[in-house]
Amino acid sequence: MTTDTCVVRLDDVRKEYGDTTALDGVSLEIRTGEAVAVMGPSGCGKSTLLNMIAGLDRPTSGSVRVHDEDLGRLNETKLALFRRHRIGMIFQFFNLLDDLPALENVTLAAQLTGTKAGPARKRAMELLDELGIADRRNAYPATLSGGERQRVAVARALMNRPALLLADEPTGALDSRAGEQVMDLLLDLNQIGQTLLIVTHDERLATRCASRVVELADGQITHERTLERA
Amino acid sequence: MSAVWRASRAAVKRRRVQTFVIGLVVLLSTTTIVVALALLQASSAPFDKAFAKQLGPHAIAVYDPAKVTDAQLTGARTGVTAAAGPFGQVTLDVSGISVLGPPGPKTVVGRADPGGPVDRLDLWKGRWPAAPDEVALNLADPGPDDEGPPLDSGEITFGGKRYTVVGWAHSLSQTADAWVTPAQMTALHPTSTQMLYRFGGDVSTKTAVNTDLAAVTAGLPQGALIAEQPYLVVKEEVAEDIGVYVPFLATFGVLGLIVAVVIVGNVISGAVVSGFRHIGILMTLGFTPRQVVAVYLVMVLVPTVVGCVVGTITGTLAAQPLLSEGFQGLGLDVGINVGVWIWVAGLVGVPALVALAAFVPAVRAHGLSPAQAISAGTSPRTGHGTRIQRRLAGVGLPRPVTLGLGMPFARPGRTLFTVVAVLLGVTTVTFATGLADSLTRISTLEDQASGQIGVRPSDGQMRIIREGQSPTAPPARTSRTEAQVEQLLRGLPGAARVTAIYSLPVPTVGHMQPLNVNFVRGDYSSMGYQGELTAGRWMTAADQTVVPSAIMRERGLKVGDKLTMALGGRQAALTVVGETMDGPSGPPGIFADWRVLTDLAPDRVVRPDEVYFQVQLEAGGDVAAYVTAVMAADPAVEAWDTARVSDFEITVIGFSSVLSLLLSVVAALGVFNTVVLNVRERRRDLGMLKSIGMTPRQVVTMVLTSMTVVGVAGGVLGIPIGIVAHRYILPAAADAARVAIPHAVLEVWQAPMLALMALAGVVIALLGALLPARGAARLTIAEVLHNE
Repeated sequence: MTTDTCVVRLDDVRKEYGDTTALDGVSLEIRTGEAVAVMGPSGCGKSTLLNMIAGLDRPTSGSVRVHDEDLGRLNETKLALFRRHRIGMIFQFFNLLDDLPALENVTLAAQLTGTKAGPARKRAMELLDELGIADRRNAYPATLSGGERQRVAVARALMNRPALLLADEPTGALDSRAGEQVMDLLLDLNQIGQTLLIVTHDERLATRCASRVVELADGQITHERTLERA
Repeated sequence: MSAVWRASRAAVKRRRVQTFVIGLVVLLSTTTIVVALALLQASSAPFDKAFAKQLGPHAIAVYDPAKVTDAQLTGARTGVTAAAGPFGQVTLDVSGISVLGPPGPKTVVGRADPGGPVDRLDLWKGRWPAAPDEVALNLADPGPDDEGPPLDSGEITFGGKRYTVVGWAHSLSQTADAWVTPAQMTALHPTSTQMLYRFGGDVSTKTAVNTDLAAVTAGLPQGALIAEQPYLVVKEEVAEDIGVYVPFLATFGVLGLIVAVVIVGNVISGAVVSGFRHIGILMTLGFTPRQVVAVYLVMVLVPTVVGCVVGTITGTLAAQPLLSEGFQGLGLDVGINVGVWIWVAGLVGVPALVALAAFVPAVRAHGLSPAQAISAGTSPRTGHGTRIQRRLAGVGLPRPVTLGLGMPFARPGRTLFTVVAVLLGVTTVTFATGLADSLTRISTLEDQASGQIGVRPSDGQMRIIREGQSPTAPPARTSRTEAQVEQLLRGLPGAARVTAIYSLPVPTVGHMQPLNVNFVRGDYSSMGYQGELTAGRWMTAADQTVVPSAIMRERGLKVGDKLTMALGGRQAALTVVGETMDGPSGPPGIFADWRVLTDLAPDRVVRPDEVYFQVQLEAGGDVAAYVTAVMAADPAVEAWDTARVSDFEITVIGFSSVLSLLLSVVAALGVFNTVVLNVRERRRDLGMLKSIGMTPRQVVTMVLTSMTVVGVAGGVLGIPIGIVAHRYILPAAADAARVAIPHAVLEVWQAPMLALMALAGVVIALLGALLPARGAARLTIAEVLHNE
């Protein structure tokens, strides 16, 4: 499901770390409702690209615009607010707080915006319920399976209803069964209108969840292909 | 060993901040410890050295020549290793104010020379008396910067006869005020005979010395011994000045030491915990558990050695001026230095303590397998910390605040160490604040007691010049009697109370040395001396006396004792009814009503210049105007504003302020280190929180909140400890100075002040946490999460 509204626009983005060029003149657009997979070998610049779009890092040159907001012009506080309200992130290693149970990990994102504990928990419970892990809401991350942890991470990412969901190797740390579940979940989300950007090595994940695949090599986009999904 | 050294060196380089904090903490603590130990040593050792150099007498014995012959005295030598004497001794009145102090009886001894087997005097100026009208006076060498009293104009009147002062000598044991030739003494008809003894037996206590003396006098006729004085009396007097600092300094030294050990323990345990992965890697490389322990011990000992070397040198330099100040003019001509054992304590003792503190947590590394170590960094935290975090999640506070409140419980051991560091910082601040307040109260009490204005008529030779002014006219002698001067003072506008004080040493039955008596008249009972009472009550009749605590201790007196004053063949018995902190300015003296003087010496004419007057004005009175009025009414009557802050008060307040600041900094460094460790450990969590929208300000709030908990805990616990320390140490310091203090000066704590003290803990914690908190806010998310 796609529309013509542009959510992400990268214009000639370069990123250098000392003598190393991670991104070399990348231009890319992602429209509302799209599911874009970025693929490529290790060190090609996939994660750097995702970090630019998430406002976790700044380009050396070029511009990154998300929802018409030029991220290069935002200070740290505004970038934090941008991340809080506009995007949700899913990581390969989940990045849950070990000393909080699943429910509190999910509510955290809403509570940072000032939402009271009650309404935040209600929303978190709805998400956990939708993702099929409501019964594990009081479990600590250490006692959850990999798939369950990633579902909690997805719930946390969706807590503030982000316009863009970014996933960095979301199945990379999961066994095949858990990976399948996460793929299904992402696909479902996209099918109900969630814009997705997935960084992955996994061809299966890309072809199953994405409507477009962007391939990177040596910091440059080398190939783009649109996929037909069933 | 080289592998251990290389790994340690790499760890030191990698942990620059921690290394710097350890070094700084050890440096500051060692400085404090060296200063405290140097003063402890100085309070005793210089006297012993000078006493040994002079071959000082362990006991001074005074005999009645009517009951014992010189031959008998010379023959009595049981337990005696060296003796000097017999020397003829007489008590003579010195006229006028002299270098020996106020007029009154002085002990004059006939001696052929300043040397001998016992009490070798330091003849530091002039020569020894050789002719009948010559005298040498007892005075400590004021030092190379001071020429001392001039010899050429030196004349002094003893017993109505004028003597030429030909020399100045110092007897550390105070065996006499002045010496004349033996021939001159014979002419003066000595009333007693002095013997000076050094004993071979135990001389460590007054009782032991008295036992030694009893063995010597055992074969002598009954009543031959009139008076005796063990050397420990003088030793205590010498130690008194410096001894008052010692309890304060020792307290600060101990606090500094504990803070150092606690922080080092915290730093090392934190280093081990945060270095689990590093330890695992070392083990997989083939390091044995023992080598791992060695790596971590060396890692902490490198900055410790640097810190303790610099700290020992700094402490030595800081102690020197304090020691010089304390011993100036005491006649201790032996060099005062920081002893070798203190250097050893600083250079070996402190690293040993640090190593011990480091060893226990470092041994934890010993017990880890490589797999445990490598996975430990990612293993989940469980227990109380998680339960508390969960409960805090539902509290109606901003989420960064509740996250911060829960952080200390994630590492309870580390938090405990940090709380102890802050606690000790708050204890120090509380103690120092209480100390300053108490000293100010003591000063206020003394100011109230001494009146606002001091007045002394000139003797026609000297005049009192106010600071910064030069004399405008030669001194005149007032034509008024002392009673007329009092009348003048009472008649001037604004005068509310006037007290006249005449200070006179009076021989006292059963005491070797005359007792200094302040004969008081006028409004002395309402001047404020009652506020200085430490025991008993104020005197209400002429046969009662109130005695300063220094004299009570020196003479072994207690409330209820009787003192029999003897002057010119008359006697007056006074009952001790109270004890005061001290008395009027000048040498300590007992209070006695002027009527006692009249009874003892009805014919004595007291000159106006021998009387010191204290004046208190009506409420709101203008001190300067009154002083001017006195001088205008009689230019020969000197008046001055007595308000002042004592040097001791300035020294102690200044010193305690510096030390409390120093230990607060050390405590803040402990917090700093804890936050650095916490932030390093929680980099991944912080990165994640920032990735979901936590702003830099919220990160700072979270980290500062975590340390606010520590600050509040440290404050709440540190305040009572500081109060208890103040309650015990101030009286101990007063005891070292051989005075008692009124209970009121200890009652310094009020709610607003305590609230401020509680804030001290929070301020220490926040100051320590601020920098690393800002560092946490600036963490680069991509880098943190990528590294994970």
